[in-house]
Amino acid sequence: MSEGRYLKDRVTLYLIFAAVIVAFAAAVLALPYETIYVQDRAYLAVFLVTIILCVFVFILGSLYNVLLWMHGKGLTGSPEGRFLRLVPKALRFVLAGRFARAVSVFVKDALHLTRLRDRSLTRWTVHFLIMGGFAITFILDLLVTFSLDILHYQPMIDEEGWAKIWIRDFAFELAGFMVLLGLAVAAVRRFVQRPKMLRTELPDAASILFLLAVVLGGFVLEGMGIAGRIPGHTVNAEYSFLGYIISLAMPASAGDIYDQAWLVHAVMSALLIAYIPFSKLFHMFTTPIAIELDGLLPKEAGRR
Amino acid sequence: MRKLDISELDVLALMRYDACTRCGECTATCPTGGEAQDVELVTPRGKILKLKEMYARQYGLRARLFGPREIPEADLKELSGRAYECTICGQCRTVCPAHLDTIAMWENMREFLVANGLAPLPAHEQIIKSIENYDNPWMQPRAQRSRWSKRLEKEVRMKDALKDKCDVLYFVGCTAAYDPNIKEMAIDTARVLSKAGLDFGTLGNEEGCCGSTLLRTGLLESARKMAEKNIAMFEKAAPSVIVTSCAGCYKTIRQDYPKVGKVNARVVHITEFVGELLRTGKLKLDGKVEGVATFHDPCHLGRHNGLYEQPREILRSIRGLKLVEMERNREDARCCGAGGGVKTAFPELAQKISSLRIDDAEKTGADLLVTSCPFCYQSLKSSIEARQSKLKMTDLMELVRAAL
Repeated sequence: MSEGRYLKDRVTLYLIFAAVIVAFAAAVLALPYETIYVQDRAYLAVFLVTIILCVFVFILGSLYNVLLWMHGKGLTGSPEGRFLRLVPKALRFVLAGRFARAVSVFVKDALHLTRLRDRSLTRWTVHFLIMGGFAITFILDLLVTFSLDILHYQPMIDEEGWAKIWIRDFAFELAGFMVLLGLAVAAVRRFVQRPKMLRTELPDAASILFLLAVVLGGFVLEGMGIAGRIPGHTVNAEYSFLGYIISLAMPASAGDIYDQAWLVHAVMSALLIAYIPFSKLFHMFTTPIAIELDGLLPKEAGRR
Repeated sequence: MRKLDISELDVLALMRYDACTRCGECTATCPTGGEAQDVELVTPRGKILKLKEMYARQYGLRARLFGPREIPEADLKELSGRAYECTICGQCRTVCPAHLDTIAMWENMREFLVANGLAPLPAHEQIIKSIENYDNPWMQPRAQRSRWSKRLEKEVRMKDALKDKCDVLYFVGCTAAYDPNIKEMAIDTARVLSKAGLDFGTLGNEEGCCGSTLLRTGLLESARKMAEKNIAMFEKAAPSVIVTSCAGCYKTIRQDYPKVGKVNARVVHITEFVGELLRTGKLKLDGKVEGVATFHDPCHLGRHNGLYEQPREILRSIRGLKLVEMERNREDARCCGAGGGVKTAFPELAQKISSLRIDDAEKTGADLLVTSCPFCYQSLKSSIEARQSKLKMTDLMELVRAAL
């Protein structure tokens, strides 16, 4: 392969990468942020810069991981060129009559994790709670951001609105509680019970403790908001059941440092995103790909 | 500084290394890493982590920013040795919640080790030389390959498939052809095929090693040459069916040969073929064989090819024979310990693993331990003898022949 072609491949890939980052940054900065519960706008600005940087690191790290795969045998050209050719090829492969199968494999083996359920109901439940809780939180986040800052949907804004009570308070709380419960059982299993099959090294401990800190921090922050009667937390606090219980143990003065606590929680959440490609959490992307490959690629001539 | 070349690792394998969740499901059931010696580095998770850690030193983000770092030679050698302690039984693929195709990963890892000058192990080199020089791993002359059939000359009409066209080609395999303790497998198979009235033959002394040993130890190029040679023979003989009685040959011809060239015949294992003959009435088992049998699923037949019911159907059709199952059967069956070059390089480890399988079989109360792979037969038989077990090692075709 000539030097020119190699460079051209690189430029295309990194232009796409830069475009994604710019688009993301523009989308983040374009939102009006009328409903963010932080009173000091400077804190909000720090968070926005952090999240853009963290997403930049996340995309770069993920891209970097994928380019490392592209060093392997089976394709030709530079790693960047291989990647650019592989993506449309993979999409064509899936869309050529295999879409329904891909969805079915994804639901059965990647989401429901049938094989894990058959082997250990406890581990399946732990994984389901963590993964399900995060997935629900992510979907709710998109829904709430869209309806608050773009649609200005009033029942989502009013403290007494049905959407505020059931989605922003209760559903978020439930999803967070699912993750917390799953992480707690996982932590007890890993650090207290220590079954032989588990091996805890720094990356294993770091992932679980980082997640726990972020999720637990979210509930503590909510408790502080309720105790300090921060706007948005003044009525119907009991729908945020765990945050409400935590608030009972907090003085009203906790609300005084709410903005600072919010920033810590928000920055930690952003850092968690940046950490994903460099941690075992990256399996949230790679494992579904491996499962899809197993379900969609033709088996060797003899495997039935 | 040794520079690792990861271009010999498959794109899919590199992706799958990142998809490992380190859950440890594979470690508990891994016959070599988990069960027989409890060494993390031999387990699938251990191998993946170590290899990733190594290539990250030269290809990782830090290496890109600050330059590649040296990988201690001792670490490389340790990984290489440990990677060959795996029998490539595929138990890890069965249990992996991430659906990693570990069989492909381990075979590819060995290709990578060979390409980087870290393998094959000295113990395998002799076998490889033997295959390259004599077309068999047992250091036996080519002229001796068909000696097993001498005593059948008057009893069975078996053609030289390269001279007389025949419908069924029996691919004998090196172990049954050369090992005096195993040759009864080939003799019984030929008798069964003859009893069914089939027009069959062999490649005689021209049959070459299928190349399974080369493939499983990572010698892709040598294996390719063997495959090309055998495919040329198949084309010349032009049978409609190729029957193998060795599970290793079956996997290799059925799964690996199509990557080298087209095999213009249906490739079947003897258990599938005899099952078909029984179903169509071409073969009848009128005799009676008294006993209680338990079946050991060879990895290459079961987990690698999904043939679980065919041998059991045959056993059930033999009058007087009772089939009992070991606790771990079918896709959960324990490996015999011999595959993947383990018996050659680590005979004590192989013995330890096969001994666990004998434990399984003894617990059933069976008096016959039946299998359908000469390699498993060899391995399990030596453990039976070492333990002075009351079990009798039996090839499935021996029972079929006795029931004819």
